[in-house]
Amino acid sequence: MADDLIELLLGIAPDDRLGALRRQRPEALRHAEGAFRELLLPADPGRLSLAERAAVALRIASAERCAPLAVAFRALLDRAGAGELCARAEAAEVPGDDRLAALLRYADKAGLRPREVSQADTDALAALGLGPREIVALTQLVAFVPCQVRVIAGLRAMQQEQAQQ
Amino acid sequence: MTVFTLKQVGWRPRVPPVRAETATPDQIAALDACPPAQRRSTYFLTLANDPGSLGERGALFTTVMYAEGGLDRAERELATTIVSMVNGCEFCTSVHARRFVELTGEEAAMQRILDHGWAEEPDPRRAAICRFAEALTRDPSAVTAADLAPLRAVGLTDLELLDLIHGIATFANANRLMLSLGDALLP
Repeated sequence: MADDLIELLLGIAPDDRLGALRRQRPEALRHAEGAFRELLLPADPGRLSLAERAAVALRIASAERCAPLAVAFRALLDRAGAGELCARAEAAEVPGDDRLAALLRYADKAGLRPREVSQADTDALAALGLGPREIVALTQLVAFVPCQVRVIAGLRAMQQEQAQQ
Repeated sequence: MTVFTLKQVGWRPRVPPVRAETATPDQIAALDACPPAQRRSTYFLTLANDPGSLGERGALFTTVMYAEGGLDRAERELATTIVSMVNGCEFCTSVHARRFVELTGEEAAMQRILDHGWAEEPDPRRAAICRFAEALTRDPSAVTAADLAPLRAVGLTDLELLDLIHGIATFANANRLMLSLGDALLP
């Protein structure tokens, strides 16, 4: 499990104190990686492309000021052949009025102000051609990045604590 | 106006849930990874529209809330109730507040939190858990080792702390799903 994303980003080794601790919860490790794979690199992305998925994830990581995760998602956008979208994904105000702009605006609402999401937002996604599967996948993705951000923030605090001992 | 209650809160999805009787094998397998008591709920049937993510995320949720050892089950329910209140998720708050009461029998203690928050929480261990749940939920980028000190002072071990972080993080996820994909139906 040397390729665990969170450990790569934080420089945790599988056999150091935090790595060993995390291995006391092997299911949490396995399924966090699995959720990442299914949301960002699914074998069948359906009508939500890998580039769109990476752009949305980058927007949330960036808004949550999680620099290591933003680096990982920029690399994923590059890998999807759409590195030029990074600037749009991270712009304070989403520019434009196209499909990507609509996806990024939904990400802002569902990821940062979820109480404001309404049926009209869901219907707007359907009007873009997203079916129930893609609407759920997009929302799962937008909801999963904040989860990763908080795992990383908590583990980083534990690393600091150990460095002070 | 956000209403936090121990009463049952309903939930109406904004996309059609999968119907149990017509679910595909992939969808059934994903639902089977979710906690047994809830896997036929409208919420999980809605998430089953994307079986790949539900299978992994459902299994993640199950281990975070129910894995043996580590943080006390009731304390996991307490932390996830606080996260849900901070995020304004009335549905998740009611579910996890009730679980806390089922596990501890302390309805008055939970009702006080629902009505007045946790600033005056009298139990020091619970107070530390609540404050950390709020801090990591509101601004993860500002959390440092100093935020862990109160938890260590009330005796949290490494594994308990990891379980707490996982619980708080998982509800950043759960609350956003619940709020974005449907409407809470208050009693």
